[in-house]
Amino acid sequence: MKEILLKTEQLSKTFSSGGTLQHVLKNIDLKLYRGDFTVIMGASGAGKSTLLYALSGMDTPSLGTITFQDQVISDLNSDELAVFRRRYCGFVFQQIYLLDGMSVMDNVLSAGLLVNKDKQAVVERTKKLFEAVGISTETSRKFPTQISGGEAQRVGIVRALINSPEILFADEPTGALNSKTGLDVLDTLTKFNEQGQSVVMVTHDMRSARRGNRILYLKDGVILGECDLGKYVRGDKERHEKLSDFLLKMGW
Amino acid sequence: MEKSFLLAKANLRKTKGQTTAMIILILLAASMLNLWLMLSMDYKQNFDRYHKKLNAQHVTLVIDRNNQKMREFLIQTMESDKNITEFSLDDAMYTVGLFTYNGGEVNSGLVFLEKQAAISRSIGKVELIEDSEIESGIYMPMLYKSEDIAVGKTVTIFIGSNKISYTVCGFFNSIMAGSHNCSMCELILTKDKYDELKKMGYMPESIVCSVRLQEKTESADYETVLKNAVSTKDPAAKITSNSYMLVSQSRYISQKICSGIISVMAFLILLIALVVIVSNIVNYIQEDMKNLGALKAVGYTSRQLIGFLFTQFWGISLIAAIAGTGISYGLFPFVNIMMISQTGIPYKTHFLLRPLLITVLILEGTITAAVWLSARRIKRINPIVALRQGIPTHNFKYNHIPLEKTKISLGLSLAFKTAFSDIKYNITVCITMLVLSLVVVFSGLMTENVIADITPFLDLVVGEIADSCININAETESRFLREMEADEQVEKIYLYNSLAVSHIGGLELWATICDDFAKVNNQNTVFQGRFPKFDNEIAIAAKYAKEENLKIGDEITIMAGGKKAEYIISGFTQISNNLGKDCLLTREGYERLGEMQSISYYLNLTDGSSIDDFHLKIKERFKDQVNMMVNIKLTIEGSASVYVSLVTMIVILVLVLSAVIITFVLYLLVRTMLNKKKRDYGIMKALGFTTVQLILQTAVSFMPAVIISTTVGLIVNSWVINPFIAVFLSGIGIVKCTFGIPADFIVLSGIGLIFFAFAVVCLLSLKIKKIAPKALLAGD
Repeated sequence: MKEILLKTEQLSKTFSSGGTLQHVLKNIDLKLYRGDFTVIMGASGAGKSTLLYALSGMDTPSLGTITFQDQVISDLNSDELAVFRRRYCGFVFQQIYLLDGMSVMDNVLSAGLLVNKDKQAVVERTKKLFEAVGISTETSRKFPTQISGGEAQRVGIVRALINSPEILFADEPTGALNSKTGLDVLDTLTKFNEQGQSVVMVTHDMRSARRGNRILYLKDGVILGECDLGKYVRGDKERHEKLSDFLLKMGW
Repeated sequence: MEKSFLLAKANLRKTKGQTTAMIILILLAASMLNLWLMLSMDYKQNFDRYHKKLNAQHVTLVIDRNNQKMREFLIQTMESDKNITEFSLDDAMYTVGLFTYNGGEVNSGLVFLEKQAAISRSIGKVELIEDSEIESGIYMPMLYKSEDIAVGKTVTIFIGSNKISYTVCGFFNSIMAGSHNCSMCELILTKDKYDELKKMGYMPESIVCSVRLQEKTESADYETVLKNAVSTKDPAAKITSNSYMLVSQSRYISQKICSGIISVMAFLILLIALVVIVSNIVNYIQEDMKNLGALKAVGYTSRQLIGFLFTQFWGISLIAAIAGTGISYGLFPFVNIMMISQTGIPYKTHFLLRPLLITVLILEGTITAAVWLSARRIKRINPIVALRQGIPTHNFKYNHIPLEKTKISLGLSLAFKTAFSDIKYNITVCITMLVLSLVVVFSGLMTENVIADITPFLDLVVGEIADSCININAETESRFLREMEADEQVEKIYLYNSLAVSHIGGLELWATICDDFAKVNNQNTVFQGRFPKFDNEIAIAAKYAKEENLKIGDEITIMAGGKKAEYIISGFTQISNNLGKDCLLTREGYERLGEMQSISYYLNLTDGSSIDDFHLKIKERFKDQVNMMVNIKLTIEGSASVYVSLVTMIVILVLVLSAVIITFVLYLLVRTMLNKKKRDYGIMKALGFTTVQLILQTAVSFMPAVIISTTVGLIVNSWVINPFIAVFLSGIGIVKCTFGIPADFIVLSGIGLIFFAFAVVCLLSLKIKKIAPKALLAGD
């Protein structure tokens, strides 16, 4: 029996634009499990990013509840959500969003030291993670504008993982990268997932989606369908076919 | 031009907040500049306008001899002098007396004139400002119009041991004798009261000799010449005099000080406004690099892009300058009220084109230079580079405060990283805080040395202060001294007499004679060299010595009562009496020139003694042998209260202005920083930083510059403030200012300034709350 990490009940999000109400998420009931690589797919405007904001505590829902482990996070204020994010979540952004005024090392440490006051331990973990994703000591001293996009996204992943988050949220992590470097980033995410890291990723890209073991398809604010790829080996042809069939069925 | 206008308009719309703050800074600078120019260019001219209107004299001599012989002598002397264009001799009654005013006493030479004569004199006529139906009484100079001295109220004048009360009929304006600062003060009596005073015999009938010269600049010299001529003719005659040069300066001391302070404030605000403009343009170029690149790519030239910045800032500064001058006209009546309490000459605010043009010229000129210096960087923008990524704005060569190595907390480290990453912010903050620390030191100095306790200011400006001054006839001196030394109420008594002497080859000087200068209360009067000790020594005013190129050790010839003697200069004084034309002599030194007919003694009474009761006791004991008794403390209080209120108002004004300036500058910097770092704040919020953490980080990032510049500013300004104030007071003879620096006040104010800056940045940074991390995900 998988452990439920995060669940939503009747999760809804409504935006008001020019006096018109737009229901972006409609009564979503969802459970995310520890150790899963959950991929959220859907067409543009389906509500993928809005769902990610809500799940990660970046935004609050209009209706419904979000419970992380036993804590209801949908009622938290912005500062309490900030504390929730720093303790339990990691983020990988499409635009990478490293702080340009800080060195690569400081970008990671600024997130790490926010949670763990033991500087030595944080520095050690950062170095280990850098090694794991192939960032050299020399690169770690550089500034974000002095490194490649692929390196920057790997630094972004290290920053997201520095506090050993319960869930790693990734929003189109390969969207701003070329195919080669995008592949490297996906490999990195996959590697950490295989080591037990729970990942929730939003993507348009089928190649990226194949890395997940659970695919959710969102359409017009509701989860239209779900596909379990867990029983297929990553890189296996069957896994690809299963996903293709699922997406075809969903109207991809 | 039209394109530049459209671009300027678009940019103004985008940066409404910053533009508003900048407009307010320029507005303040413009109003202060115009106020200063109005004060310095026209306010003093008002004296000349009235001088002309009232056909006032350039030299006035009041001689206590009203006889045919003296009249003939004066007519003969003046008719033979080609420098004199006009003169008149009028009857008057003259004495030294006092009356209460403004909670203190006015002690001055009083010239009583008959109303009709005063109004119809050919030279130096008076102008009635306020009249009434009251047919018998006194008209007072308008300077003294106050709660206690008003039409219908009674004013009591003390002349020696006598007192006379008059009903106030009205007020007048006399340009050369309308204030105790003129060395004589006219009082006008109705015919019946004038005749009555004459009959009382309290004072001698005198002649007022009024002279108009070809060249008013020669008035001080001619005053000496005429006085010497009269003294030579009748050595026993008592003469009181003044000149255009003396009066025009002495009635405008506060105007000089006030305009000086306003000018400094104006230029400091302008400096801050310019720094803010430069910083704003540099930030604009960095932040809008891509837009500028795009505009260049579609064909805009650098000249056009710089032109739009000129259009924008010229427009802002022109509107603000004109509005600022408008505000200065609103403020001027309040300044005028403050000034009139010292000048005593009515001033009607009117539109002045020249100050307006100069204000606009100064602002437009300096802003043009600032815009040009900061905007020319646009020329170097390559459209392709700008479109791709812009020109990097951070200094990537050095990683300030590496988190891996630093021992300080994460919050402080990140704040210091921000602080060290942008030198422009720090420069703007530093210049602002340096200016404000000067204001704090100035305010502290004024509070300590004028507002809380005016003694240091009086010691510097007035010179010697005791409790009482008693003037007695020479023949009673030994008895008086004997009795005073035996009196338990008398703590200290010393001779302190002032008389006019002439420096041969120079001007008339006001000589202060003392039996032993070691006894005087204010030992700082001589600030260089020493007090005269021997009968051949003299200490002279530093200002006069500088004008005459005299040094310590030089020998000068002094004349009084027709006798001459040589003296060696032993030291330099700085007393504002006679506007820095004074000297100190020992009693023996003066007696080489002649005997003193009446002698003034200064007395310090024991604690708790009533000066007025003591004077009553002396009057009973010495009766007619006492010519005059002055409660110096009360007299000083009256005059000092004007300065205290003036300084209090100035201090409040500069402190309020400082608070406004620091708020606006920090507003501009924080707004720019928040716009610039919006993305960083979004990322940090997404990573889990709370709003409070980010606000504190922002506030702390300003603190290194605030703390360092405030500390340096307070130390440096404490060091330079005395010489700085001496410059303002140089016009009245002060060369070296020795005000005590209130260290505790300055330290506390410095801490207050730092906390104020911190609090303002925290408040202004509340906008961080609105920065949502989800904006990052949306790609904002």
